[in-house]
Amino acid sequence: MPRIFFATDLHGSEMCWRKFLNAAKFYDAEVLICGGDMTGKAMIPIVEENGHYTVTIAAERQVVTADQVGDIENQIRRKGYYPLHVTPERLQELDVDADKRKETFQQIMLDGVRRWMHIAEEKLRGSGVRIFVCPGNDDEMEVDDVIRESDMVELGEGRMLEIEGFKMISTGWSNHTPWNTHREETEEKLGERIEAMARNVSDFSHAIFNLHCPPYRSGLDEAPAIDADLKLMHGGRALRPVGSTAVRQAIDKHQPLLSLHGHIHESKGAVKLGKTLAINPGSAYEEGMLMAAVINLDAKKGIKSYQLVNG
Amino acid sequence: MADTTMGSAGSRPTLFLRNATGLVKAWSTFDAFVYSFWSVNLITLGLYGMSFVYLVPDGQLLAAILVFGVLTSFLVVTYAMLVSVMPRTGGDYAWQSRVLGGGAGFVLSITGWWFTLFLWAPIYANILNVQFFLPLAYTLGWSGVASFFASTNHTGVFVSCLIVLAFVSVVVTLGMETYARIQKICFWIGLAGLVVVAGLLLFASQSDFQNAFNREATSLFGAPANAYQATIDAGTKAGYAPHDFGSFSFGPIFLVLPFLAFYLLWPNWGATLYGEVRGAKDIRKPFWSMFWGLWVTIALVALVMLLVVKTMGWQFYNAANASFWAGTAPVGTWPYPVMFAGWLVNNHAFQALLIIVMGLWFFGWAGTLFLSSTRVIFAAAFDRVLPSWAANISAKRRVPYGSLILMIAPSIVVSAVWAYKPDFQNVFLDATAVLALTFLATVAAAVILPWRRRDLYEASPIAQYKVAGVPAITIVGVITGLFLLFMLYQWSFNPDNLYGTSFQKTGNSVAYFVATYVVAIVIYVVAFYVRRRQGIDLNRIHHEIPVE
Repeated sequence: MPRIFFATDLHGSEMCWRKFLNAAKFYDAEVLICGGDMTGKAMIPIVEENGHYTVTIAAERQVVTADQVGDIENQIRRKGYYPLHVTPERLQELDVDADKRKETFQQIMLDGVRRWMHIAEEKLRGSGVRIFVCPGNDDEMEVDDVIRESDMVELGEGRMLEIEGFKMISTGWSNHTPWNTHREETEEKLGERIEAMARNVSDFSHAIFNLHCPPYRSGLDEAPAIDADLKLMHGGRALRPVGSTAVRQAIDKHQPLLSLHGHIHESKGAVKLGKTLAINPGSAYEEGMLMAAVINLDAKKGIKSYQLVNG
Repeated sequence: MADTTMGSAGSRPTLFLRNATGLVKAWSTFDAFVYSFWSVNLITLGLYGMSFVYLVPDGQLLAAILVFGVLTSFLVVTYAMLVSVMPRTGGDYAWQSRVLGGGAGFVLSITGWWFTLFLWAPIYANILNVQFFLPLAYTLGWSGVASFFASTNHTGVFVSCLIVLAFVSVVVTLGMETYARIQKICFWIGLAGLVVVAGLLLFASQSDFQNAFNREATSLFGAPANAYQATIDAGTKAGYAPHDFGSFSFGPIFLVLPFLAFYLLWPNWGATLYGEVRGAKDIRKPFWSMFWGLWVTIALVALVMLLVVKTMGWQFYNAANASFWAGTAPVGTWPYPVMFAGWLVNNHAFQALLIIVMGLWFFGWAGTLFLSSTRVIFAAAFDRVLPSWAANISAKRRVPYGSLILMIAPSIVVSAVWAYKPDFQNVFLDATAVLALTFLATVAAAVILPWRRRDLYEASPIAQYKVAGVPAITIVGVITGLFLLFMLYQWSFNPDNLYGTSFQKTGNSVAYFVATYVVAIVIYVVAFYVRRRQGIDLNRIHHEIPVE
């Protein structure tokens, strides 16, 4: 029976993506599921001038030679950012032109996803391991097309997939957030989206809901409270449930065997919602640490065991 | 695509951000400072803890506080660095288990943050009694209430324990957002109360105080005339050796430190919550919030003690404490400096109001008793060492009932032991020491972190801080470790049993604490084998997956 390795919210951290792929061997997992929000949030310019390169990482300005640039790029990717090679003129242009910045960001991000697909193909081709990816609300729609190009990684979004006798439905869409990201919609529409997939599932005791947004008031959806200016309140310690009521209703109604979530990095946990085991493994992508869940499925028992890990 | 934004330093942009979930503005250092400030509570823990320093006659209090502040600053730096490397819910448990190993991390942290916190519930209750219920009852002439909550009435002591547990449970249930608001209200009103206390002590002379003390001691407690001098005499008889406030001997200063630890060792109390704080990776925020929490308290302690010395008199202050603990004080309640300051105004309504206002120092602080513990229990449950129900939260009110049960139920038993078995009370004196031992294990993890978890260390903002090539976290960790080891040695082996916790004199507490470590080991071993049968290898929780 399949052993699933589930991680989510890698946010461009190439180190975490590599660990995610290597987890198949490390944990003897037959199935890898990446829950969404694959792409990074920032690009860091590496400015080339007069034969040297200038870059600022974590507020530390560094001037390096050409043979050190590779290390710098790795440092940047490890944190989940994208290295961007520019001349001073190009940097100036991006600084003042929002459209060009936007275009550059999209290109560099999609190149990043393409690069990840190649790494997956290199590492796991012929291994028999299945890899599922379902982009999240922070991932642009074009990311799906890049994943579809891969013959190794399977796109989950909007589909019902078969995993050794278990059915999995997936979506990376979420309820509205203060950041107005790429895959957000009203609870009503999100509910319809989930229901459209769920109605194809005949046996929920062998069903997996891979829904990026966690269920409302589940303990998996507690995010630091922010004010209207996006400033953290009460020293960041005040938490509020921000999950989706549509996701919660879908779980309460259908009671799938397992539901997998992400979205709220701080809200790591595993809870029982009726018959459903709901998991959010959390995320610490900035540290290069892969937080994940290992789940052993069994045709008779359903979930034989599970474990949250920090790799 | 959402709009991109730009971060810049100097004339050139250094980072281009796109609009994405979780990009928030930094939290206010002041908000986090309030939490840290409450943890090293000047009034509740502070005044209570300092009522024992008369036992070290030559230990110059202000110098000792200063030394303690400097050494505890290294603890603050160590914890701020750990938060920056691994901002994990569970704090000590997470750091110890990820660096020292799952088994060691569980045993060393759970004994402190779970088993020892049971002991703190009665300690909190005792403080509530002596700083709130009793002074208020005496001031208002409610002799029945005063008798009920007196330390000699087992039921009253137990009831106050239950009140504390109920209050703490309500706070955990309300959640941190509501409690943060309560804390802020208590902070400002409590601070206003402290200004009044300081003003009263500043503008009154020692003879004013003597007259006020003699008047109220007779009026409220039926003490004979000149209770002020009688208190000094009773203190001397109780073994207090009078000494000048300014007398200075180097060695005894260090003997005062373990007493001060009772309140000044906890600026890092909120570190177990930092996993829930975005931006915790920025070392400056956690550092400054803990640092100012510690040093603002130290400044206020110095101010309050100088005013106490000026107006009440140093000999009187120590003698009042010595005679109270000996049970021979003319004024038969714990010598609460706030209550004494209130006596400078000959009006019982004002005195009661001042006690109520200063009581907010208790209620703004007491809610934190189990908050950190519940997070540690969560972390252990997520790691499958504890049963998964320990991390359960009720759907309707988001009450972490699993962890609350694990904290409250044993606390009720321990509170009953405290109330009805006075012979067992020396165990409670070790409550500070066991938490210090937990901190020591975390500090040990910090010292070896750069080698044991090179990956995390190299990726963290603190990797740039080195002294002569040695990681700064290792250096500050070693200094903190030596400080904690010194105090642990004194608590455990002081030949004069100065702190009431020396092993050779306190068989009960040694047995209790050995038992807690044994229970922790048993829980881990049982969990290890049960989980193995379920196909879960607890050893693998923290193993790093290869990158290449």
